[in-house]
Amino acid sequence: MIEPGSIEECSAQMAKATRDRQRVAFVGGGTALGLGNLGPEPDVQLGTRRLDRVVDYAPEDQVIVAEAGLTLARLAELAAPNAQWFGVDAPQPERATLGGLVAVGAFGPRRTRYGGMRELLLGLTLVRADGAIAHSGSKVVKNVAGFDLPKVVCGSLGSLGLVARVTLRLHPAPEASQTCIVLDASSADVVDAVRALRRAQLEPSSLVALRRGAGRFDVGARFEGFERGVRRDAERFVEILPSARHAGTDPSLGDGFWRDHATTRTEGELRIRVAALPTDFGHVEGLLEPLLGSLERPRQAWYAGLGLGFASGQLTSDARALEALSLARAGLMRRGGSLVVEAAPKAVRAAFDAFGAAPGAFALMRELKRRFDPDARLNSGRFIGGL
Amino acid sequence: MTRKAGYVSLASMSHADASDTAAAPLSRHLVQRFASIVGEANCISDPAQLVTYECDALPHLRARPGIVVLPKDRDEVVQVVRLAYEAGLAVVPRGSGTGLSGGATPSAGCLLLGLSRMRRILEVDLDNAWMRVEPGVINLDITKRLAPHGYYYAPDPSSAQVCSIGGNVAENSGGAHCLKYGFTTHHVLGLELVLADGSVVELGGPVLDTPGYDLRGAVVGSEGTLGVVTMVTVRICRAPETTRTLLATFKSTADAGNAVSLIIAGGILPAAIEMMDQLAIDAVRSIMGVHLPEVTALLLMDVDGTLAEVEHTAAKASERCRAAGALEVRQPANAAERDAMWRGRKSAFTAMGRLCPNYIVQDGVIPRSQIARVLTEIARLSEHYAVRVANVFHAGDGNLHPLVLYNASIPDEARRAEACSGEIVRLCLSAGGSITGEHGVGKDKAAYMGEMFSETDLETMNLLRCAFDPERRFNPGKVFPTPRLCGDQPGHYKPHAAELDGRIGRG
Repeated sequence: MIEPGSIEECSAQMAKATRDRQRVAFVGGGTALGLGNLGPEPDVQLGTRRLDRVVDYAPEDQVIVAEAGLTLARLAELAAPNAQWFGVDAPQPERATLGGLVAVGAFGPRRTRYGGMRELLLGLTLVRADGAIAHSGSKVVKNVAGFDLPKVVCGSLGSLGLVARVTLRLHPAPEASQTCIVLDASSADVVDAVRALRRAQLEPSSLVALRRGAGRFDVGARFEGFERGVRRDAERFVEILPSARHAGTDPSLGDGFWRDHATTRTEGELRIRVAALPTDFGHVEGLLEPLLGSLERPRQAWYAGLGLGFASGQLTSDARALEALSLARAGLMRRGGSLVVEAAPKAVRAAFDAFGAAPGAFALMRELKRRFDPDARLNSGRFIGGL
Repeated sequence: MTRKAGYVSLASMSHADASDTAAAPLSRHLVQRFASIVGEANCISDPAQLVTYECDALPHLRARPGIVVLPKDRDEVVQVVRLAYEAGLAVVPRGSGTGLSGGATPSAGCLLLGLSRMRRILEVDLDNAWMRVEPGVINLDITKRLAPHGYYYAPDPSSAQVCSIGGNVAENSGGAHCLKYGFTTHHVLGLELVLADGSVVELGGPVLDTPGYDLRGAVVGSEGTLGVVTMVTVRICRAPETTRTLLATFKSTADAGNAVSLIIAGGILPAAIEMMDQLAIDAVRSIMGVHLPEVTALLLMDVDGTLAEVEHTAAKASERCRAAGALEVRQPANAAERDAMWRGRKSAFTAMGRLCPNYIVQDGVIPRSQIARVLTEIARLSEHYAVRVANVFHAGDGNLHPLVLYNASIPDEARRAEACSGEIVRLCLSAGGSITGEHGVGKDKAAYMGEMFSETDLETMNLLRCAFDPERRFNPGKVFPTPRLCGDQPGHYKPHAAELDGRIGRG
């Protein structure tokens, strides 16, 4: 593994790899290396561990420019003294790096309020396959000059270039946070809870359903903001959903809930991500149940207002899991949704495409990849359709 | 730069494309073929009628299109684009023509594709908070359709009553309330796009996170250079429980700028913070319908959310304004008064006519902590060039709209106005900002792209364009300072029969 200490060094390494016709893979914190397809083995690994400097942090503008290897946890430490934070609450903050989070298009439950990496990435420095260093976006929160390359690079899994430096929008950290929990809800109750919250004009920063057994869920709604508003919102949540328990009186309830959520997203040798319309949750539940039933320690989380979910567990039988994965994906795709494999043992990854059938716009995607990486040397084969 | 009335500088012509020079009229046969797709009435080739389409809301940049075609649906767009491709015509898409950067300025002899007849609202899904519309649908009509159900569409450009959603997608339009809710790109979930060869692709959709590259994110803000958007899936928002409007007056723009910094630093995220200086206030005083004594600057703010949160944040914002030296912080007595305040703000550009016959609008962005300093610098530039500059802008996100006023009939004043305006853009760049926050680069600001981005940066952006439109058929001469090629052409190029016998040329 080569670990460049500067963007110029990255550029030199990339140019060298081009000359030597070497395949390059990028490694940040290594939290998402299971995501995507199995490509050919890279000749060179470029690690961003040493690229961890803060280039510019203007607390008064709530904008930070940092190198790609900075971890999410370190970013949080830097922002905290200014009563600020970064809205992307992705798992494993101690390890996850900003560059990696861009590559996977990361998000956490607070996407409900702040959006994910896609929404908060203002600018980007990309080291291209040929070593050229290209900047896009800007250091201000509003900018439409030129094409929005940060959006295209976000979630591109390192297939277009090395993310070397990022500019991020920060937010004021809330004064207070409270989680309310509805215990033992059905999938229909989860959908109703979303509706009820909207009707009541309540605006939780996170809304997550966690599977507690076949067809049963706990629903956690987190309210964040100024103390008075949060208290009132939590009280109203309990008013409109009388079965809810108010974690205000029992903070450990909320802590345990979010710990379980994090476990769902980080543990288990098989981890998948699903997307569907929020009101289709009943179908999602039905489609995932055979898979979850085939796993040991099955876990599932559903971001109820967004229509995004995660499932994970230990495999008991590859064959059963593969069959259940195919069925679930087919059902989700019929409803306009998707299923993406975030981690799985090699045998499963070899037998089951991480992203599924290439979409209608695949010809465009292939052409985009070809323009940025003509010899297909960057993170080869890992992205959609083997790009 | 955006100039209101007839003034063309040599500077703005120097980056013109070769395609801007006079073009031969289209053959009658070709015109008939377009007419057979969209009907005679929707196919304009009469020179007198073409004049209407020579410019968008930036009237000093003009060119005569070869033909204007107004399709009624996606299938007609596909046929028109396919025929234009075959005939080697450049295609310039146009929505309502309200753009302020010349994004829909035709290239001479092009096919101008007007999408204003495509105004159907196709699908509304309140439970999942999305809606599907055709590109010609007017921005405000989306909210009007949703209002009875307590939902709305968040991006609110000042031209919301007339601008189209397709145009908003092209420009990644903003608006006053984007501070809290984000821009068009945060509210577009999916697009249907017609490519140069007439093929149709779906990008994104109502379900989040479609696997693959975020090409929808690439198209939003691409200023019509990648394809023609024929359908848009937008995210819609539940109306907040309550909105409180605050109007704070100050004795200087520096005080008002400091108030903005204090509010942001206080952890408050209002839905909107707009600033107006003395000249802007003078222009809209009668529209605002509120008594505004001799104040030099004002902030107009909306704070929204749940009731308890809003009570707290409104109080905190008022307190911060007073701490920055506000003369007065008032709340509108009723909805009518609130509407009048916002109407005043939103009609500020048009109201400038009361002060001066001509103006140039800039759209530069600066880090929001530097408003007070940059406004002082702008005042200095105004004095130096002896032209008046009015400021009315989105203070919360640092998006300035300095209006450089001039009278074109006074010798040399236009030149000084342009010089002053150019210096203001450079001032924004030197403060670490951007040349445009929401109006787009278009034709107007293309010359400044090279001051914000390096040649490598621009070349990299061009790679994206080449993936979509390798022959640069869509909206040539926009965004980039100099025409650039795409290198190799994918696939084997076969010249069309009309090309072989010399009737048409390429590009």
